Formats: sequence, structure tokens, C-alpha cells
Amino acid sequence: MKRFLKEPLVHFTVLALTIFAAYGLVDRRAGPAPDRIVVTAPKIEQLAAIFARIRQRPPRAEELKGLIDDYVKEEIYVREALVLGLDEDDAVIRRRLRLKMEFLDDAVVDALAPTESELDTYLRTHAADFQVDSMLAFQHVFLSPERHGEKVAQQAASVLELLLTDPAIDTASLGDATLLPGELPLSSKTAIAQTFGDDFAEAVDTAMPGRWTGPIESSFGVHLVRVSERRPGYVPALAEVRDAVAREWVNARRREIDEARFKALLDRYQVSIEGFTQPSASP
Amino acid sequence: MSRMKALAGLALLLLTPPAIGQAGQEAVGISGTLTEGTAEKVFPTERPYSPYAGRNFPTRPFFGDTHLHTAVSFDAGFFGARLTPRDAYRFARGEEIVATGGEPARLSRPLDFLVVADHSDNMGVFPDLLAGKPEILADPKARAWYDMIQSGRGAEAAVQIIVAFGEGTVPDVLKYGPETRAYKSTWQDTIKAAEEYNDPARFTAFIGYEWTSNTGGNNLHRNVIFRDGGAKASQVVPYTTAQPLGSDDPRDLWDWMRAYENKTGGNVLAIAHNGNLSNGIMFPLIESFTGKPVDRAYAERRARWEPLYEVTQQKGDGETHPLLSPNDEFADYETWDDGNLDATVAKKPEMLEFEYARSALRNGLVLAARLGTNPYKFGMIGSSDSHTGLAAMEEENYFGKTSAMEPSPERLTEPFFANEKTGITVMDWQASASGYAAVWATENTREALWDAMQRKETYATTGSRMMVRFFGGFDFDAADADNRNPGATGYSKGVPMGGDLGPAPAGKAPTFLVAALKDPLGANLDRYQIVKGWVDGRGRTQEKAYDVAWGGNRAPGPDGKVPSVGSTVDVENATWTNTIGAPELIAVWQDPDFDPELRAFYYGRVIEIPTPRWTAYDAKRYGVEPLEGTQMTITERAYTSPIWYTPPAR
Repeated sequence: MKRFLKEPLVHFTVLALTIFAAYGLVDRRAGPAPDRIVVTAPKIEQLAAIFARIRQRPPRAEELKGLIDDYVKEEIYVREALVLGLDEDDAVIRRRLRLKMEFLDDAVVDALAPTESELDTYLRTHAADFQVDSMLAFQHVFLSPERHGEKVAQQAASVLELLLTDPAIDTASLGDATLLPGELPLSSKTAIAQTFGDDFAEAVDTAMPGRWTGPIESSFGVHLVRVSERRPGYVPALAEVRDAVAREWVNARRREIDEARFKALLDRYQVSIEGFTQPSASP
Repeated sequence: MSRMKALAGLALLLLTPPAIGQAGQEAVGISGTLTEGTAEKVFPTERPYSPYAGRNFPTRPFFGDTHLHTAVSFDAGFFGARLTPRDAYRFARGEEIVATGGEPARLSRPLDFLVVADHSDNMGVFPDLLAGKPEILADPKARAWYDMIQSGRGAEAAVQIIVAFGEGTVPDVLKYGPETRAYKSTWQDTIKAAEEYNDPARFTAFIGYEWTSNTGGNNLHRNVIFRDGGAKASQVVPYTTAQPLGSDDPRDLWDWMRAYENKTGGNVLAIAHNGNLSNGIMFPLIESFTGKPVDRAYAERRARWEPLYEVTQQKGDGETHPLLSPNDEFADYETWDDGNLDATVAKKPEMLEFEYARSALRNGLVLAARLGTNPYKFGMIGSSDSHTGLAAMEEENYFGKTSAMEPSPERLTEPFFANEKTGITVMDWQASASGYAAVWATENTREALWDAMQRKETYATTGSRMMVRFFGGFDFDAADADNRNPGATGYSKGVPMGGDLGPAPAGKAPTFLVAALKDPLGANLDRYQIVKGWVDGRGRTQEKAYDVAWGGNRAPGPDGKVPSVGSTVDVENATWTNTIGAPELIAVWQDPDFDPELRAFYYGRVIEIPTPRWTAYDAKRYGVEPLEGTQMTITERAYTSPIWYTPPAR
């Protein structure tokens, strides 16, 4: 039975029966004078304008007639649907209306214009969100665990010694071939992590620049690394990140406005929730 | 909950929105047909000392999602999605946000780009009041609200306005009839959100929408992606499918795209998806709208506007089907073949040929010979089609197809939707945590990414971020596989994925330089395969998958196939180890069966070793027993755009 109740077909059947029943209750012939639908000139203009926006050309005469007829049909169906209460308990319509209410905030949000000092305060209180990554340039020699097996650590130690004793050595002659770039120009730590993984990027970021060091492990294998340049991360000045700060300031205000507005509206309601018991703390 | 989901599933089918588009401008960059002249121009033989000077080819792929829905899509809203385009962009660029269901959500690492592809309509607001029109400001009450908003007390003003409407005390100047109400569309707001989060070189926020042609439940959906910013995109509104304003025929969408380009000087492209739910009409030989064979105009326009196909996503993988590729042991992957999108019509085997990428690429060769243009000359991308606002397609971090399917103990056992009449039931567990689009662009900007999509220098992944190279030419030799920089070799001696092999020099067969590097957070690679499709001497299409590089010590069997890599997956604990397979693969392969008189295409398929599927992580984390038959492991994969060979005209 539970499964039966879940079937959409059942829902539709029940809905259809309800509609027919409702129609039966409304005696059309005995009703008052027919409702009027007036298609005004501005409405026709609007229909034509929407058409032009979508099709990127104005409608031809017969197309405009089609739009008007379609509008009349829609208007009649919408009115009748509202009479039948078909808008009630309709999840799509309710969510749409809720979204529209939230969308009202946007008019207000659009009008916001933060001052320099507001932005400056926001930047200082949310410094971590705007932190600029450290930038690193490095070379590395790669050793593949597939190729060296358990001797990979030993191999790494001897290659490191070569690199330290002969700084002019051609690094391409050392280590194993890999698809990882052998040398990276100045790149952000995030970009390095995208290719080499987080742990590797972290280790390279803390390596002493200018000298070969290692082994540093990645999920690909073992690396000997020489950082040639490191520009430390920093919290930027407002001028450098003004747009991003303004965007986040506005987003924060958007949330505040929505919360404040909802609270104000909630205050106008008395809400009673019946038959709900707070779930007890789980064992 | 499950009743809601069943209805919601149905609604998704009925309401999914549409998209299409593309621009036919000359591809920018280094693609197209390889000739000696072009190769020399791009890669002068005298190389400068610095390996980076003059380098203008893409050095790393950018990963993103070209197909994400938010609460603005009304079907997503029906499923309960609360997240907005702004939330979606924030999540994609790596921020932690709270999902609709209340769970905090964050990606393992940022994506490089995102297209929010919602549908749109008009929503009324009070723009005139904010614009401070004189007739409005003349009214004391309206003036007071205006001043409140200007002084930062907008929330207060908004409440007062709402209350005034409710009490019928709103000033006449603010009352709009339906004919005169000023509208601000969600489209404008979606554009604005993309503009705010587009951060060239760090994160690209594309403007886009979905055109949802779905007549009879047969999926012909397309996503339209703009190369341009808001200045151009806001001059138009998205094309729709509803008559009389819109149309469900892709030809009409292509008209819209052309009109957009003519009007604005901008560029758009369209990406179709879910041929598997089209019931035989996604890649037609006989057009469903006319009942006539696909003609030259259709072929030319489809080729021009639709350079890519979304070959993998949550509602099933679309590379090929086991019945179409019976000799391909990897063909049955996340297959959704019960019926059309709303499950109102069950699948028949004869529909499959016109639904999957590989068979379409094959038929495209035949159509190219007949019509002079190949309508199905497309590249490959993957994307999520998530309706949650969250592009979260990692197996251990999967936030579901809809907000009703966000992480919960129930989603292992609940139906996604069911259709009594056809007897089709699709369970939540069948949703695939897939996929992402990988783009070989020179930089992370709208322009560079879009141009790379246009020239098809892209590949699809099922959620993994493996790096895949695929180059074709006539001069690659075994030593090129020892090179540490396949990019430099590949571009100088061949064409990348999405390109065309030029005429074959006498006695030479095509060679391919292939390379793949595992996802830094992911599993080792099992094998790199090349899938070849061709038209034989009798005009019939053929296909074959070749193993060209693989991890570990395995030798191909007598049938030429490399044996299975095995599995390290512990399903119960949802773990695996990288003790089989290889972190990287590289090889040069030459087609052993080449006939210069026959049309052909080649694409790469890279397969990871088996790993736990999202269902295994859920079973472990929630302690829920999965239903019998639930798929618990997965072999993530990538599909590259093809490289085509066309025999010289005689």
C-alpha cells in the first residue's frame, strides 16, 4: 500500500478526480456575466518586446496574433486554475514565489554603495579570505618508486649528493622521466598543488630557496627540489583587491538584509507548531 | 521524502531546460589541419635558450563544469535547491558553503571554471523606485522608502513596502499593472553573478544557459556557452522551447545563435548531452522533426554550432553501449538505458546507434562522405548536470543529482523516479558521480577556454582530474615517448586532440603520442587505449579499441588485449591502494591497420584502476546495507576529443 501511495500515477488520478469534481460544483450557465479579458495596447507591446528579445527580431503580424491568442488562453487557464485552487500546495509555485520574495532583496542590494572605510574594515576583518598565495619557481628531479622499488630512498640520497656537489650539473641527465613539468616558472602555491598535490606544495613552500633539498614525496614518487625564487604570500592592500572585497561585502550585506527582512516579517506572525517533539539526544 | 523524490524525478524529466549554441569563428591557436607551413610558423626551428620563451601552447589542462543548475532553474527549485548562482561560483572556486540540506560542503580543491546553465524567466522587482524616477520621488511615502534604501536601511524599507502592499496602502505611483510592471529578469542577475566571480587567470565564470528540448520526453537538451561578458550577453534573453516564443527543434536554436552573433559580434557554442535519454534522436540519420534524411544544411550547421558533446554526466555515461561495442570489455560503464528522460517510453535496441558518441562519430564519417560535411565531428567533455548548485562529482564527496539526493542514509535505497506504465524504476544509487570538462587552454580566461572548446582541444573525465595528452601525426617515433615534455614534441610534430591529420605521406601510417598523468589525489592508471573508428571498403563503419600503454608487468594476450589490472578495493571499508597500475603512462603508437583510402577517427580513453564508488563511501559512512545489485566500485576514465583522418579527394 505504501508503495501504491508513492506512485505518481496515483497522484495524478486523484488530482484529476478532484478537478472534475470541482468543475461539477461550478455551474457555468447560472453564473454572473462573463469575466472580461482586455488585451491592452501596452500588453501587446510587451508581448512583442519579449518576442523580439528572444528571437532578436520583431514578430510578424500573424506571429503577434498568435502571441495574443496564446496570452488569452493562458490568462483564462490561469484564472480558472486559481478558482480551482490549483496553485495551493503546489511545490513548484510555492518555491517560485519564495524565490521571488528573496529576489526582492536584489533591488535593495543593487543600491548598496560601500564606502572606502567600510571596505577597508571588511578586508581587515576577513583578511584570510583575500590572502594572496605565495609564489614559487622551482626545479625538481623525479625518482619513480616503480623503477627503483625499495631503493628509491637510497637513490634519492645519492642524486641529492650529486646535485649539491656539482651545482652546474645538467638536471635532465638525472632521475627518471616524468610528465610532471621539470621546471616551473613562478606559480602560485594553489596552482602547484593542482599539479603536484597539496602536501608537495606545502613542502616546497617551506623549502630553503637556492639550494637542492629533499627528498619530498608526492603521490607520484620522490622529488629533489631547488626553489629558485619565492615570493611570500601577503594580505593585499585594498586597491589591489577592491572589486573582490566589494563583491564579498555586498554578499555579506545581502545575507544580513535577507535575515533582517525575514525576522521583521516573522515578527508579524504567530507561529504554533503542534505535535512536534524535540528529538532527544541520540545515545 | 521518497514520494517527493518520485514526483520530483518526474518533474525533472518534464521540466529540464534547454540550451544550445556555438560560434563558427576561425579557431584560435594551434589546431586545425597539420601542414608543414603551420607547424613551422608556430614552432620556429631555431629555439630560443629559454624553454618558456615563445611557448604558446597549453601547458596544463583546466578543469571545470559546463553544466550546473541552481535554485534559479525551476526544476532544481522543485527538488528543494536553495543555492544561487553566486553560491555555485563560490563553491566551485574552492570556498566552503552550506548545501541546501544543511551539510557543509567543500571541494577537495578548486575548479578552474564553471558555467551556471539555468533557465530563466522574468521576475518583478522595484527597479523604478531605486532609479529614483521623478514621479516616484514626488510621492512622500515613496520618497521616504527611497531615502531609507539610499541610507543603507534597505531591509527595513523592503519590509515596509511588503507590508504596504499587503495592507493596500502602497502609493499609486508604485502600483504597476501587468503591462507596465518593470521587470528585472533572473537572466540579468545570473549574468551579474558571473561577472562578479569571473576572475581572469584564477577562476573563470562563464555566462550560459540550458535549452531543454524534451518533446515526448526525448532528451535533445543543449547548453549554450557565451565567450562574451555581460555587455553582449545581456542584449539577448535565452532561447526557450515553449511555443510560440521558442521551439524544440535544434535548427531554430542554431538560428538564435546566429542571430546573437550577428547582433552583438559575440560568440556562442552549444553542447548537447544525454543522447542515452533521447530514444534514438540525438544523432539522427533521419531527422525526427522532418522525417527526412539529415541534409547538407543540417550537417553544416550542426558542425558549426556544436563542436563538443557532453559524453559523461550523472544521468549515465554516453561514450558507447555494450550492444554497440560487444568486443569492448570497458563499454558497460554507468549505463542508463531504460528509456527516455521521463521514462515514458522504454528503450529499444535499434535506438542505441543514434544515442552514443562512438556510434555517432562512426555515422558521421558516412555522412561526411555523402554530404561533404560531418555533422558529428565533435570533441568530448564531461560535466555534472547537477541540480544542487554544487559541482561536487568526487566519489568520496558526492552531493547528488538533486537536493533531494544530497548525502543522507536514505539515498542508497531510494528510487530516483519510477514510471508505473513502463515499469521503469531508476534508483538513486544508479546516479553516476560524473563528470568534469578538461580544457587545454593557454590561460584561464573566458576567451582562451572558449577558444579551446571551439577547437575541440578538450577531454571528458568521469570526475577524476587526470592529465591526458593525445597527439596525432605521421612522424612520431618511439624516442618521443622518452621525452620529458610531450607537449613540445606533440605540438611540433603533430596535432592535438580535436585536430585533423593531413594527407598521409606515401607509405606512412598515422602515429600517436599519448601520455597520461594520474590525478594527484587519485588512483593509478590501468591503461591508455586508442579507439579507432573507420568506414570499410564496403561503406560500413567499424570500430576497434587498442591497448597502447599500461601500468605494471602485463603482456597482451593472443587477442592483443592486455589482461585485467585486478583490484585493490576493500568495499566494506571504502579504501584502495595505488599498488597496481602506474601513476603515469606515455607511449607512441602507430596504426597497424591503416588504409589511406578510408575515413577514420581516433580518440584516447584512459582508465584508472578500480576504486570505491560513491555508494561504497555512503555504505561505510552511514552504516547502510546497499540494495542487491548496487554497483560498489568504479573505474574512472577520460575520453579525449578525436583526431580525424580524411583521404584526399580523387
